[in-house]
Amino acid sequence: MVFEYIVQGFVNVMDPFVIGLMILGISLGILMGSIPGMTATMTIAVLLSFTFTMEPAHGMMLLLGIYGGAVYAGSIPAILIRTPGTPSAAATIFDGYPLSQKGEAGRAIRVSTVSSFVGGVISVFALMFFSPVIANAALRFRSPEFFALAVFGLTIIASVSGDSLTKGMISGLLGMLVASIGIDPITGFHRFTFDIPELLTGVEFIAVMIGLFGIAEGLRKYSEGIDENQEKVDQDISGLLPSLSDIRAIAPVSTASGVLGALVGAIPGAGGDIAAFITYNEATRWLKNATPSFGDGNIRGVAAAESGNNASTGGALIPTLTLGIPGDSVSAILIGALLVHDVNPGPGLYKDEPVLLYTIFVGFLIIYVFILLFGLLGANYWAKIINIPKQFLWPIILLLCVIGAIALRGNLFDAWVMLGAGLLGYVMRLRGYPLAPMVLGLILAPIAEVNLRRSLALSGGSLDIFLGSPLALLILLLSVLTILLPTARALRGTA
Amino acid sequence: MIKGWIGDVADRTSGSSISSSPLSLGFILLSLVVIYTASTFPEEGTLGPGFFPMLISVGIIVFAAIDLLNETETELEMTELDFRSPAVVLGLLVAYVFLMPITGFLVGSMLFLPVFLYYSNIRSKPTLIALSIGLPILLFYIFGRIFLVRLPEGIIPFSRLLPRLPLGVMF
Repeated sequence: MVFEYIVQGFVNVMDPFVIGLMILGISLGILMGSIPGMTATMTIAVLLSFTFTMEPAHGMMLLLGIYGGAVYAGSIPAILIRTPGTPSAAATIFDGYPLSQKGEAGRAIRVSTVSSFVGGVISVFALMFFSPVIANAALRFRSPEFFALAVFGLTIIASVSGDSLTKGMISGLLGMLVASIGIDPITGFHRFTFDIPELLTGVEFIAVMIGLFGIAEGLRKYSEGIDENQEKVDQDISGLLPSLSDIRAIAPVSTASGVLGALVGAIPGAGGDIAAFITYNEATRWLKNATPSFGDGNIRGVAAAESGNNASTGGALIPTLTLGIPGDSVSAILIGALLVHDVNPGPGLYKDEPVLLYTIFVGFLIIYVFILLFGLLGANYWAKIINIPKQFLWPIILLLCVIGAIALRGNLFDAWVMLGAGLLGYVMRLRGYPLAPMVLGLILAPIAEVNLRRSLALSGGSLDIFLGSPLALLILLLSVLTILLPTARALRGTA
Repeated sequence: MIKGWIGDVADRTSGSSISSSPLSLGFILLSLVVIYTASTFPEEGTLGPGFFPMLISVGIIVFAAIDLLNETETELEMTELDFRSPAVVLGLLVAYVFLMPITGFLVGSMLFLPVFLYYSNIRSKPTLIALSIGLPILLFYIFGRIFLVRLPEGIIPFSRLLPRLPLGVMF
């Protein structure tokens, strides 16, 4: 059965149009990932509108191409100019930049490419293996368990959202509040719609995402100075393949980091940046006496970070596709992309759309094969992208944000929502509020609300229904711990 | 330890810390308005439509209050940031969307894109002209003609003058 789906997925992917979309996505991802300040999240949010009229599988291939390409390419500026192209490449700097200073930038980039491939492929296999198991178990979930899961998703993102737990929680709760606008899913009452017909179906959360990740980032860039001088890349990256001795040196650490990165990526809320820091840190613990030591240009440091962050991509898709709970901010946008096509991520997806799922799995695997090829063949050219003047990209991004919001439903109301979200996001970022929790709040609030109210309707208003489900109770307890532990640590720190 | 922390918090509840967190205060006020509005919603079933918004608002008030009390060095260094540029860019975006029912997407974008580009310090005339004319036309064809999105046409629908794509030949 599964084999049939894999074959069917492979047939779907081997269509020239689909291959073209993957290559386009990877190229765009590598282009934007190589430019510091342009993240995978922003690129996907801004370009999402191009997939609205595509088949869901085709749209996903374009978006996953961008995702994989951007997470891979973030390492190139990290190695060459000590600035990560995307946040997930921050840990690559530790050993990548020292290698570059020694004149071994090409070697570091080749190692990074191979490790990204290894991490990516391991994560797709993890996705293929674990997803059906989790989805199958989740088919037995009822309202209390889904409510608990939604709460868990919200608390865990808040706890990993940068410096401030409280600001992360506020951001997530604000997203939940925005999600409550529109027709009440249980009673049909019009909540906070102010008699505006466009608000009856609620705020279009893709418009909010485009505002938060496109406009808010753009405004921030204009605040910092649009044409600030950035270090130029002058190294030539020669050679194609990493040496056999390098491959032997990185093979164990890339494989182990791939497995660990996929597991970390699968935790809702933990994205590529956290995965890479954890795998890098673990590598330094495993290989205590490495020479040269970590931080002085050890290729195994680059391998651990890059395998880890790319492995988080497939890992993040596990809870996204099986439970409808996003693994990171990119997968939150991917949920939006699927919902546009009336495809509901969650345990039912395996029953309803197995071919779509296996097309995504096989497609993501092939995307990583392309990334390996492109990365090894084109490293010299990708490195030069960093030198392209990028002032002209921001006006184009702003224009794409506006057309993306209009394309949602063909009206200008969503463009206003998008601009409003952009302004709010900009002000919040200035004040140190992380924005990813808001997007999670938007997605998780309807799941949390409907299942809480259904649970309580079933139990006649008694909270005992949660005590009756050991799993729901366990997840809720975990949620409480996720909030309490960082809070206790913070209080200990201030005392 | 706890005594020290309380003392610390007391120090920080002076006027200066509150004025440095206008956002938290704003969120508290917003939550109060939401709670008031939600309390007027009809009570239906076990939990009415107002329950969840109220629950969320209480959450926001609690965390915003903690944030006000704990305001330390989480704020970014704001002195180096320029606030005029983002205000101008946002103003231009608002004008662009506001005028779109009149100008239409195509003409509006051709008018605003050069302004955005110029404001981003692009001074090369060929780049300005090529991007400002080429990109709106390209996007119009992709979204308006291939994806069939209803883009605003404006009072004078110039976009209808663009030749149709031979889609029947392409697909």
